[in-house]
Amino acid sequence: MNESTLILTLFAAIGLGTPLVFATVGEIITERAGNLNLGVQGMMLVGAVAGFWATFNTENLLMGIIVAMIAGAAMSSIHAFASVTLRVSQIVSGLALTIFGTGLSSFLGEAGSEPLVGNPSKAVFEPILESGLADIPVLGPLVFGHDIMVYVSWLTVAAASFYVFRTRMGLSLRAVGEDPASAESAGVNVARVRYVHIMIGGALAGLGGAYYSLALVPTWQNEPIGQAGWISIALVILASWRPSRALFAAYLFGAAERLGFTLQTLGEPWSNIPSNLLAMLPFLLAIIAMLLLTSGKRAKFLGAPAALGLPYFREQR
Amino acid sequence: MTTRRIIVEPRGLASLRLTLGIPAASVLLALIVGAIFLALTGNSPWEVYRQMAKTAFGSARGLSETLISATPLILTGVAAAVAFKMLVWNIGAEGQFIMGAVFAAGAGIALGSGTPALIAIPVVILAGGVGGAFWASVSAVPKVYLGVNEIITTLMLNFIALNFMYYLIFGSSSPWRDPEVSQFPSGRPIPDSGRIPEIFGSQRLDYGFFIAVAFAILAWFLISKTRWGFEVRVVGDSSDTARYAGIAVPRKFLGVFLMSGAFAGLAGSLYVAGPVGALDPRSLDLGLGFTGIIVAALARLNPVAVVPVGILMGALNNAGPSLQSIQVPAATVQMLQGAILIFAVAGEFFIANRLRRPEKKPQVAVAAQGGEA
Repeated sequence: MNESTLILTLFAAIGLGTPLVFATVGEIITERAGNLNLGVQGMMLVGAVAGFWATFNTENLLMGIIVAMIAGAAMSSIHAFASVTLRVSQIVSGLALTIFGTGLSSFLGEAGSEPLVGNPSKAVFEPILESGLADIPVLGPLVFGHDIMVYVSWLTVAAASFYVFRTRMGLSLRAVGEDPASAESAGVNVARVRYVHIMIGGALAGLGGAYYSLALVPTWQNEPIGQAGWISIALVILASWRPSRALFAAYLFGAAERLGFTLQTLGEPWSNIPSNLLAMLPFLLAIIAMLLLTSGKRAKFLGAPAALGLPYFREQR
Repeated sequence: MTTRRIIVEPRGLASLRLTLGIPAASVLLALIVGAIFLALTGNSPWEVYRQMAKTAFGSARGLSETLISATPLILTGVAAAVAFKMLVWNIGAEGQFIMGAVFAAGAGIALGSGTPALIAIPVVILAGGVGGAFWASVSAVPKVYLGVNEIITTLMLNFIALNFMYYLIFGSSSPWRDPEVSQFPSGRPIPDSGRIPEIFGSQRLDYGFFIAVAFAILAWFLISKTRWGFEVRVVGDSSDTARYAGIAVPRKFLGVFLMSGAFAGLAGSLYVAGPVGALDPRSLDLGLGFTGIIVAALARLNPVAVVPVGILMGALNNAGPSLQSIQVPAATVQMLQGAILIFAVAGEFFIANRLRRPEKKPQVAVAAQGGEA
């Protein structure tokens, strides 16, 4: 593999990893509050269709992004109500959200007298910062020339890191995820913290979904995000609940997604590897990472929020 | 400082009226949500629902197709029900279903047309169960012995199984692929001796439906009527209690996990040995495993209740494609199923808890809620 192929692959990996960055950081924030939301796939799909629809009608990308985030947050509020207020199983509630969101997304894309399906987006994110510092070897061509959302995703990671580890609200968030009873006695409203961070997670998932329909595959089709939502849930563990690590985990999976294309360009014998087997790679990677990182005692040092997945019963304190 | 206006308290055993009424209400509420979305997109909900009912139940042919669609859902529903009852979060019924289909089709093809049906059919069906249990073991063994979270591994294995099936049919010249069709790759047909026969005089419906019902009853018997099932239920209620009672929790966990996988695999074998007749990716990647979770939740994890609920979901799946003839997306059905699951899950709260207004004079609750600012 020569240098330019490598750089092209890594450049593409950053683009393909960007929606995963948004969704994974969102899920990290949700899980930091002690709530597991398996609805990421559904929220991303609804975000994808909502963002596409908004941009289709306004020809405005910012509008698409905003609507996608609102749609994702609205979806996540269903999960928040079921798992925080009604305290039903977070797992089943999240799965319900994914199944509903998947159906709703396809439905909205196909319904009506002039359905969205098959239509190209009226506006698409274009590369920026192409000239200038791009001459710096290796780093230059990797860092410059992406669309604005890639840079927004970097800012999101930085902001999320700062928020979780360096602010008072982040401290409350982590306290709720570790030990909600103690957090509550220290004056934190556990239910409110969970609601807010579930909805931040939903908004970021919606944004990640819209990045598919407005940048990566800007023609509406059913389920344009592949399995990105499910992958994001695995990436949270790979990132050990730290936003900064989510960036690299997401790009690793972006590279795995890109690998098939790269192998094609390398010619024989690489191009002979069946595409169906290559398509397994991200999922295999996730399982291997799970086995390596979470087997036996190692899981303890990974930093999972101690109260993750558990409903909180204030009355039983 | 807020005073609670409604008091939530746990209900003991819920009445039968409630345990039946709340799932029924979930379906009704989901239909209302669906109606809103249909109306917003310029469709007549009444027209759509009428078309669905007509397709699913309006003719002998429709009813037969509904039961054909219900057959795999009953078994993926049982798979989820037995697992979730013991808090085994097997989200991998989808992959186990596919591996069951792969094993079953493989067994049927390997046996060839020379084997008597009396031997071939049971072997084909059971091969699917083995395939499903095998695929579940890939998650179950690391879970039980190394503590690796099964939610993620079962999920990821779904997509590995799916791509493996695509590879067998689209990406290679495997024995599963029909060598006589080169234009558009498809599965090699299972010889007739390995196929589950159709019910005489029926419209395409085969005995697989009754086999699925029999397996559901078997699952109910194992869970409700045996010592093993009793211990499993104890583990599901509290693994600490189970440990104190001397129950080998890891072994129970492994057993339930593999059993769940086997049921999902059996769904795959009944599907390929029944209506489909080959490892045909286009008939097998429809999300039947995930729909099984809806079936189990709405049936409140009772394997017998899974049968009628499976028929209801089968009816929806059967009706979906027919909506395209009236320019309504087939995805309407998936949206409805998702909404049903959301309401069914929320309904669990109302089955488990009672809501009441506080007595006229609210007690001084300030001390008890002191933490709330």
